[in-house]
Amino acid sequence: MAADRPWDDVLAEADGQTVDLWMYGGEEAGNAYVDDVLAPAAAELGVTLRRVPVADTGDALDRVLSERQAGVTDGEVDLVWVNGENYAAGRQAGAWLCDWALDLPNRRYTDPADPLLTDDFGVPVEGCESPWHKAQFTLVYDSARVPEPPTTLAGVLDWAQANPGRFTHPAPPDFTGSVFVRQVLTSVVGGPGEVPLEFSQEAYDEYAPALFERLATLSPALWRGGETYPQSQQELDRLFADGEVDMTMTYGPATLADLVADGTFPETTRVLTLEEGTFGNASFLALPSTSGDSAGAQVVADLALSPEQQAAKADPGTWGQFTVLDTGRLEDADRAAFEELPASPVVPPYAELSRNAQPELSADWVSPLDEGWRRSVLAP
Amino acid sequence: MALGTRLGRAALAVWLLLPLVPLVLWAAADRWTAPAVLPQAWGTAGLRDAVDSGAGTASLRSTVLGLVVAALATPLGAMAGRALAGSGVPAGGAVLAALLSPLVLPPFAVALGLDVLLLRLRVPASVGVVLLLTVAALPYTTVLMRTAYAAHDPGFEEEARTLGATARRAVLAVQLPMLAPALAGAAFLAFLVGWSDYVVTLLVGGGQLVTLPLLVASAASSVGNEAQVAVLSLGSVLPPLALLVAVGLLGRRR
Amino acid sequence: MTPRRRAVLLVLPALVPVAAVVGAALVSAVLLSLGLTPLVGRPELSLDAWRAAAGDLGTATRLSLGIAAASTVLAAAVGLALALAATAAVRRSRLLGALAALTIPVPHLVGAAAMGLLLADTGVLARWLGVSPDAWPSLVGGPWWVAVVAEYAWKESAFVALVVGGVLASRARSYGETAALLGAGRWARFRFVTLPLAAPALGGASAVTFVYTLGSYEVAALLGRPYPEPLPVMAVRLAGSIDLAVRPQAAAVAVTTAVLALAVVLLALRALRRLSAWH
Repeated sequence: MAADRPWDDVLAEADGQTVDLWMYGGEEAGNAYVDDVLAPAAAELGVTLRRVPVADTGDALDRVLSERQAGVTDGEVDLVWVNGENYAAGRQAGAWLCDWALDLPNRRYTDPADPLLTDDFGVPVEGCESPWHKAQFTLVYDSARVPEPPTTLAGVLDWAQANPGRFTHPAPPDFTGSVFVRQVLTSVVGGPGEVPLEFSQEAYDEYAPALFERLATLSPALWRGGETYPQSQQELDRLFADGEVDMTMTYGPATLADLVADGTFPETTRVLTLEEGTFGNASFLALPSTSGDSAGAQVVADLALSPEQQAAKADPGTWGQFTVLDTGRLEDADRAAFEELPASPVVPPYAELSRNAQPELSADWVSPLDEGWRRSVLAP
Repeated sequence: MALGTRLGRAALAVWLLLPLVPLVLWAAADRWTAPAVLPQAWGTAGLRDAVDSGAGTASLRSTVLGLVVAALATPLGAMAGRALAGSGVPAGGAVLAALLSPLVLPPFAVALGLDVLLLRLRVPASVGVVLLLTVAALPYTTVLMRTAYAAHDPGFEEEARTLGATARRAVLAVQLPMLAPALAGAAFLAFLVGWSDYVVTLLVGGGQLVTLPLLVASAASSVGNEAQVAVLSLGSVLPPLALLVAVGLLGRRR
Repeated sequence: MTPRRRAVLLVLPALVPVAAVVGAALVSAVLLSLGLTPLVGRPELSLDAWRAAAGDLGTATRLSLGIAAASTVLAAAVGLALALAATAAVRRSRLLGALAALTIPVPHLVGAAAMGLLLADTGVLARWLGVSPDAWPSLVGGPWWVAVVAEYAWKESAFVALVVGGVLASRARSYGETAALLGAGRWARFRFVTLPLAAPALGGASAVTFVYTLGSYEVAALLGRPYPEPLPVMAVRLAGSIDLAVRPQAAAVAVTTAVLALAVVLLALRALRRLSAWH
């Protein structure tokens, strides 16, 4: 489709196009970055960037799937900020345009062998989406209430057992709750690398029972005696903010600085880095196959990948999202921009956070584990 | 007034007001963490965030959408209500049931095929949104106007006709003023259907129509935005309220 | 023009779009639930989605009906009281009328957020009453769905008051005054004048409330708990699954919800037809 097309042609076609970027709108800092930094830069390239805020990225996917089913070719969604789940779901139905993301000029600043950029939830990226930022699954605790935090996930579960009512996790299929359950899976079976990343029924039958048994044992010691669970990360965050539980968790630690700064979370909020590491991934900008402004969308995706934009976005005062670029490949001045970034008061640097990072299990694991948890732990 | 009545009315007032109190406090709170009884810091951060998120244009869009839906669903509902209040409609019961049927469609069902059909038929997004929301509003306007017409005494119009008024004049000068409160109520409910919709506006509108509920929903999907959500929420209560007062005053003057 | 023809012409402009939209929506959802319009794979007629969803449908249906019934009863009782106070012949409460009007424009999503802030373990009410989160009953996300029912009852009581009040305002006062002149006492006036006048509107508004509550998603999702789930929450969870092959199950749940609601509408219409002012 877009492969091997001179970039100047793409730029020329993009001039005058309006790109609708559908993205989760719950992050104020993210909204402000797109509106005040990315959109003006896109305007200089002749592309109007419109942000469509959604409460759930699934809404964007719904629209794309409907357009795809109806055979629309000038659809209303031109870019979507996707996580691995949405990407994998969309791939099933051919929702994304492929073979464009590797040709973006700024792609040369990324490491082509970076596993976070070649696979997303075990689904090959293959130029069907362009990386935006890196993320790390992170446990968060209040150091005033947990002065000596555990250092491994198994330790966290033991700590929860010993402190009834002070811990819980969102119920899968919530994205964060689902990640937590998979993280516990790798922990209870003896550490990362034990569970094959590829899903198979045999592997599920072999490993899942231990997971559900551990969580079912833990359940009575959780918040409200485990008779119910928060339905979303937001509900868990609320419990943490109100001091009902002592830990929360997130796949997007960038928001923590803001939450502490505005007083939602206590000042003693800290990130819990685990010895065995946690899942890491990247989030991407995907271009729907139904988009009518795909040239403009590629220009925006490329712009979002540029050293200037990545550095601006990584500033904790702006959004604090970890860059997907390999700073070793940058010009000196650009690299300096990254090195001069102020440290976040709450979130450790990416290198520390991503130590021993584990690759995500493939997307095929998600539904069986979510469903299994519902049947075995939530409503046995 | 008897003490019982007074207590009862006070309880009703508390019932109506209490849920709005946290919202009002949050709207003016910069910081309010448990277990503080009142916000620890007052301020306008919520207002600023709401304005930054585009609340101004969004409420304008919501208003236009609500007005268009009301302008279509009120007369259609009034006509249907009038016909159904009489006995002229064949299979009146079935027709009424059909007109109430949009109520039984859960809003999210739109995403299970109807949106694809609209796209296939190449219905423009804005037309699709208005069509679906008008249909969603029709049960309310129809029921309200049918009840009003059923309770309406046609004697006054007949009197006007006997006194020499034309049929049109009797409707305009006698019937409509007498039904003004019901019409205003119907228009108001129809307005609210357009004003507060999320699913149809987003999925059928294709994101081209970023209305207030879209902002509320996305801001409300994360913690730390309470003040902004409160401001947006109160902002989505005030314009319809102003409309209600205006309609009420208008109705009274006639 | 015959009166019959006139009546038909008056009804058609509303009936045609309604029938088209509802018909199309239901047919699309049924087709999807039967595997005839899949997002992935070949269309194939099957009842697999219905079978897969069947296990949880019973629990979800009972829960949905329970929430809707509780909300409706509360909303009808409070709404009637509001309407009576706002339209009373003596000492009419303009304030209550205005407060009810204030509640109506609150979108349910906002109402849910407000109820959460009010009723949660560390909500405003618990703080004001000085009750610690541990001692506070589980109103939000609890086994009795209290916050969910409270939100629906709160919002819909104002709706009931608007509908019933509209009827009472235009009629009840004059009838009531006549009855009072004829010597009827307060209770007799309520029993024989106000209630019969209000009954059709009250019944209609209650039916609307019940059906709305049955099909609404946001409130139960925000203030409820992950298990058991009411029908709409179940449908939205299935529709949002990462596995697109699950979507037909969501359609099956949505169709179930719609059929259930339709049955309620038909029952309500039959019951209302027996009431005097409702032909």
